[in-house]
Amino acid sequence: MMIRTILAVLGIFCYLSPAVAHHVLGRPTYSLSENTTTPPSVQIETQIGKYFVTVMAFPAFPRANEAGRIHLYGQRIDGKGSLAAPITFKVHDDNWFATNEEMLGTQMPLENIYKQAFIFNKDGDYIITAEYNSDGEPYTIDFPLTIGKPLPIGTIGFFSSLIFVSLISINVIQRRRMQRMQTQRHHDDNGLS
Amino acid sequence: MTDWLNLNFIDSLRLGGEGMLHGGLPTAWVTVTLAGMVAALIFIQPRQLTHQQGTVAQYTTAFLYGVGRLVMISPHWLIAMRVLATAIFLLVIAAGLFGTAIPERNLATTLTWTLWWTGVIIAIYFTGSSWCAICPWDTLANWLVRQRIWFKSSIAKGLNLRVPKWLRTVWPASAMFIGLTWLELGLGITTSPYATAVLALTMVTMTTISLLIFERKAFCRYFCSIGRTIGAYAELSPFAVRPLQHDVCAQCKTLDCYHGNETIDPCPTHLVIGRGEEIRYCTSCGACVFSCPHHNVGWRWQSNPLQRFLNTHMNSSEAWFILILLALTSFHGITMLPIWESMVHATASWLNDRGQLMMTFSLFMLLALFIPAIIYSVAIKITSLTSSGIEHHRLLNQFSLPLLPIAFCYHIAHNLTHLTRESQGFITVLANPLGTNTLPLSMMEKHQRHLYPLLPDNMIFTLQSILMLLGFIWSIRLFQQRRVQLYLSSIKTLPILMVIIGASLFNLWLLLQPMIMRM
Repeated sequence: MMIRTILAVLGIFCYLSPAVAHHVLGRPTYSLSENTTTPPSVQIETQIGKYFVTVMAFPAFPRANEAGRIHLYGQRIDGKGSLAAPITFKVHDDNWFATNEEMLGTQMPLENIYKQAFIFNKDGDYIITAEYNSDGEPYTIDFPLTIGKPLPIGTIGFFSSLIFVSLISINVIQRRRMQRMQTQRHHDDNGLS
Repeated sequence: MTDWLNLNFIDSLRLGGEGMLHGGLPTAWVTVTLAGMVAALIFIQPRQLTHQQGTVAQYTTAFLYGVGRLVMISPHWLIAMRVLATAIFLLVIAAGLFGTAIPERNLATTLTWTLWWTGVIIAIYFTGSSWCAICPWDTLANWLVRQRIWFKSSIAKGLNLRVPKWLRTVWPASAMFIGLTWLELGLGITTSPYATAVLALTMVTMTTISLLIFERKAFCRYFCSIGRTIGAYAELSPFAVRPLQHDVCAQCKTLDCYHGNETIDPCPTHLVIGRGEEIRYCTSCGACVFSCPHHNVGWRWQSNPLQRFLNTHMNSSEAWFILILLALTSFHGITMLPIWESMVHATASWLNDRGQLMMTFSLFMLLALFIPAIIYSVAIKITSLTSSGIEHHRLLNQFSLPLLPIAFCYHIAHNLTHLTRESQGFITVLANPLGTNTLPLSMMEKHQRHLYPLLPDNMIFTLQSILMLLGFIWSIRLFQQRRVQLYLSSIKTLPILMVIIGASLFNLWLLLQPMIMRM
């Protein structure tokens, strides 16, 4: 009876649990590369100047020290032609005080698609910048790209610190208030002014 | 940041026209609903309005012998539910921070936005403001500040200051509600597990800081937009914490429900439950249930909740909150229309807006807030000009109540679609809450989800039609009730009636349209 129950529970668990090795067109996830036909890790469609611009990054889960690729495609809003000017791709860390901008390369379109390869040697959040000139006007498109899976310690740390500091500060203020009230009561009891 | 990537990925599917689109209410159902509305307009007449002494008799104790009674026997059941809700909440935060960025595979987004936020609105009708009783961010804040989940704390940790008079309105909650809607529909946090977790942590932090600074639970009463939304809608629920015998409360000298006792906290939102006038601020926390020395308070089922409104008076912030609710629930529907994207793009092009088109979105949201407000104000102004002796603000406050059922019923009808079509596959997410080693939903999975919703299509359509009709009937009944209370004729209040009809028809039209799903 016990064994049957355990087997039933295990059976239900196996049924509900997703398979660990996911296959995309017969390939396991660990063998995905920038050339694999997967959904992009990022796809942004935006309207800038006279163009609808689509940006995609491959593979679906870019990792450090593995090749990846950015695809950019710009089509005129009126549908009359595509973006053809050279585009420069740059990258910097995604934080408020980032100063370490690096050039990825300058690309011309190949069958209307700009393709920019990249390899990052560190997991993290980055901002990719695509710059180009069109009709004499400079344009810049920024989009975020996450490589690997950075730990969100910063977020937890920020909220924990905020709560901790609030608790401590209010506690200190409250203690002082209590002391002041006690002193006041003591003065009142002794008829002091 | 990871989630923004995914948000854009999902949004791009919508922009690219690959988002799942499902048909709206069939014309036949709309015709039936419209016929019902016309019948309601003709047949609902103002009744003799007296506050019946028999309201207590209308409470049936049948429900108490179920879950309600179980909860009322001992606070430990309530504590257990709070602990459970908090554990799930912490799991949501963990999944959001450490799990996959794919929203449909992560517990944070699926549980928060697909199940909880849609389900809690539906649940309000059946359980009143019970969510507030087990609210995890309040439980966590209580534990952090008072080292208690329930029962009175002997430690006075907070400053216990009174909320400044200018803040003692629901304007802060209204502002927060507008902010949350902007985050939800504009920034798209519904498709971002990380942002969902950050929002959850923000709620905990705000609740904790409020509990540290202000007395009782100022956050629940004045600041929490979720609590105020639940509170407003809960007025239409037959299920609420109420006194059993009004006479007992009338003769009570100790008011333990308000002041608390040695072991139980006072009412967190400053209510004397026996008066029952401000039930929208009740958080169903159970303090009055357990502190009442006469055992005269409990969760009760009232057969006719509209009876409560006889004594309900709204102040201007509460009235505007209802209008904001109405405007934003409809706006929610508008953003899911197929025409929305092209409308936003056309306007963005005109405004030279770039990137995520946030300026354009914000502009539309402002319009969605202002247009109903202007229409309602004009209707009230016309009525006040024709009815001498009644102040404009009094009319504005009192006639906001009939708009509440329209917002509530449309909100449920809209959420039914989300709940039944998007929550498919939740068990799989529950088995792998962080979505480890998962890939985005394939088109086949998406089609399967939308082809086989939790409820059959016809049942969803029937429920939506019933809800729209019910909302309209409630609204008309409340309108008639208010009109008679203010001694106003039908002709004088015709502009307000037109607003009610217009809002109901607009919401019905929204349901008639095909809708783009989020996931």
